[in-house]
Amino acid sequence: MSEVTVLLEAVGRSEQQASEELLPLVYDELRRLAAARIAGEAAGQTLQPTALVHEAWLRLVHEGGRKWHNREHFFRAAAQAMRRILVDKARHKSSIKCGGGQQRLNIDDLDLAATTLDDRILLVDDAMKRLEVDDPESVRIINLKFFAGLTNKEVAATLGVTERTIERQWAYARVCLFQTIQTL
Amino acid sequence: MTVARQIEEALFDAARNIADLEARRAFLDQTCHGNTALRQRLDALLASLTSANDFFNVSAPRAMLASAPAPVVKASHGAETNGSLFSDGLETRIGPYRLMQRLGEGGCGVVYMAEQEAPLRRLVALKIIRLGMDTERVVARFDLERQALALMDHPNIARVLDAGATQSGRPYFVMELVHGVRITDYCNENHLDTAGRLRLFIQVCHAIQHAHQKGLIHRDIKPSNILVTLHDGEPAPKVIDFGIAKATEGPLTDNAMLTACDQFVGTPAYMSPERAETSGLDVDTRSDIYSLGVLLYELLSGRTPFDAKQLLESGVDEIRRALRERDPAIPSTMLTTLTHTDLNLIALQRHVEAPSLISTLKGDLDWIVMKALEKDRQRRYQTANELAADVQRFLHNEPVVARPPSRVYRLQKLVRRNKVVFAAAAAVVAALLVGLGASTWLFIKERESRREAEHGRAMEAILRRQAEARERIAQAAVLVSQSHFDEADRLVDGVSFPETTSEGETVFRTLGEWAAIQSQWKRAAERLTMLQQVDHLETWDTATLDCSRCAAALLELGDTNAYDRFRRAAIQYFGGTSDPLVAERTVKNALLLPADRSVMVSLAPLAEIAANSFNKPPGPGDSWMAPWRCVSLALIDYRRGRFSDSAGWANRCIAYGEDNPPRVATARAILAMADVRLGHADDARAELALSRAMIDARFQTSLDTDGSKGFWFDWVLGRALLREAMATVEPEVKTLQTTEISAK
Repeated sequence: MSEVTVLLEAVGRSEQQASEELLPLVYDELRRLAAARIAGEAAGQTLQPTALVHEAWLRLVHEGGRKWHNREHFFRAAAQAMRRILVDKARHKSSIKCGGGQQRLNIDDLDLAATTLDDRILLVDDAMKRLEVDDPESVRIINLKFFAGLTNKEVAATLGVTERTIERQWAYARVCLFQTIQTL
Repeated sequence: MTVARQIEEALFDAARNIADLEARRAFLDQTCHGNTALRQRLDALLASLTSANDFFNVSAPRAMLASAPAPVVKASHGAETNGSLFSDGLETRIGPYRLMQRLGEGGCGVVYMAEQEAPLRRLVALKIIRLGMDTERVVARFDLERQALALMDHPNIARVLDAGATQSGRPYFVMELVHGVRITDYCNENHLDTAGRLRLFIQVCHAIQHAHQKGLIHRDIKPSNILVTLHDGEPAPKVIDFGIAKATEGPLTDNAMLTACDQFVGTPAYMSPERAETSGLDVDTRSDIYSLGVLLYELLSGRTPFDAKQLLESGVDEIRRALRERDPAIPSTMLTTLTHTDLNLIALQRHVEAPSLISTLKGDLDWIVMKALEKDRQRRYQTANELAADVQRFLHNEPVVARPPSRVYRLQKLVRRNKVVFAAAAAVVAALLVGLGASTWLFIKERESRREAEHGRAMEAILRRQAEARERIAQAAVLVSQSHFDEADRLVDGVSFPETTSEGETVFRTLGEWAAIQSQWKRAAERLTMLQQVDHLETWDTATLDCSRCAAALLELGDTNAYDRFRRAAIQYFGGTSDPLVAERTVKNALLLPADRSVMVSLAPLAEIAANSFNKPPGPGDSWMAPWRCVSLALIDYRRGRFSDSAGWANRCIAYGEDNPPRVATARAILAMADVRLGHADDARAELALSRAMIDARFQTSLDTDGSKGFWFDWVLGRALLREAMATVEPEVKTLQTTEISAK
């Protein structure tokens, strides 16, 4: 039995702990996959994040030949991992662009249409940290939707609720986060 | 999750699903009653709904991982663009369309090649409009034209298939995919000679004509919207972007104008003067004719009439002023001002030597281009077909319609600056809208959106009728010029609301006279009344003579009511004049039948102008104008009951001599009437006999349009006054004699 499956089995015991422990593993796996993809595929081609996360899930979870039903914690971890990867990348890129100094983004100065994705990722990450305290539910949804790129259906299946609920929560989370971004 | 948080989320969800803002507000009023904090919070959340959706439009990783260096693709429009589709945060799928490749970036947005998957699989061009436009309005305006666009079916027009809004709220348009290069580039790269260019241009005109007949104006004709593709080895132009300028444009306020110059329209060099005006509402198909003129200018000479860069640098007001007032150099002259290198390059692109290019353009082509570029749209070619036909005539070495402006016309242009014309055109449109009926308007008032729709359709119907009238008149003008009056008359029969154009004037005048000299007075009256409606471009001289024509026909027809309406309109139109010639003729034209007090009062100032002119030293042409002035003054004094003054003016007229027989006959008829009132019955009879002899002699033979022995209408007006004189002098034989004269 691999380390991952052990950890996933432990999920039932302590959710928080399991997710935390799972994270580095998922993170490494996702990074590896993403790097392989980018190197292997023709330049300019898109990589579906959902595909990436799913592939990581298949690799990690099915290693032991056992089928795991509790996907929630995996996706949570995967989303968290994707978030880290993306934020790191964005930070790295923006530090190159801005000559090393970290530049504070101000939403008022930005035409939203003109913000690059990197900008958005950093803004979202910052705002999520702030929102975490008051509204962890929204942050959880944003992780799954924005960073892991899951569809409403997938999130609903993962969390065991209806799609309609996710649609509602995602809509609410978006405006809350956007409001938070505006106050950054 | 706290209960408060749950409630907030639930209320937010319910509210955001109420599309009608009024209803949404009512819902919130009710549910948040007393809880101001919650209400404020919800209002804030709802307010950022759209922005938030935009912001989260793409999920991060997909785009992030795709942002690796991308290959550069060669776009259809020849522009090198970055091949990454999604760098601007767009979804890859829009409705049933899958974006495949970025083709280019135009003024108002980005164009993609896309694959439509349903209901049929095909490649299309999808144009996504820049952010910053009111998407709903754009799409609504497009919807207004959707039906007309669907009616458009022409091999040289790229079909516009669909429009909608992307998830992020930008409007997009879907068009037939055209692989081509802009027409100017095609011509230059292939060293097309002038004839080759003209043949392509004619095809463009025909495409535009087709659209105009469907009630559609392009509004943004320029080389980048006319792509040339090869069809069986033959170049075929395709006009793209139909309906898009209309949907995306607002009134050209200064700000919008800046945007327009900066990015949206791309260049003001192709913009018609009336389109550049702030109001921007009064644009019709002839605005496209102007743009076609600019295109022709550029195809022939390699330059636009106004330098695009220079225009842009000069600022908004200056652009408007230039378009309105500055006369561009005629193409052949412009070429001579270029440097040797520039000129040789342009000639080389046309496969000729520079001197030969200049001499080809000089003359007919110069005037064709300049006629299309007239500032006053009523002097332009009225239809794209007409323009194409003139170009065709040039290619066939036939005489063209376009003419260099006469000296008189240029002078007039300086003096008049079109004020009357624009007022008249606006009045016609207003009358048409009122004509739609009050009930329609009340209904329209109910809803803003509906009003816009109805208004759009009404305008479309008007445009269509105008286009049709214009087309018929244009064809009639050709027939008239070839003396096919019967056919021409059939064409204009039933044309309603013609616009003021010089072609229209010629057509109605010619056909009116044609009917008149055959004594078909009903038809003559109809055509000449129509002439009155459109007669705003001619010199005052011609316009007042046209009034005499109309008056003559109405009197012969015996329609006194129509004559009364006519004279009141004429007094209103010419009443403000200070020109003795106009004053004199208006007095005469208005007093051919006895008039009531209001007419007499309004004519008094005109009579004064005519009389006072005798106190000034005679000007050029006074030798023939002065005697006519005496006729009018004799007539008005007779109508006023100042019989001895009247006789004085009549005698003064007769003293000038007999060079113009109808004038003398008219003066004698008036003199006869004045004499009888003064109690000089014998003198009256003598004058009457002299007058009658001249008029009888003239009407022995049929009328003609040859004015050398006096105009036909002057004879007809003289005869009308003679009849009145006979009834006045010899009341007892009135009936008999009038019948006699009419029989002849």
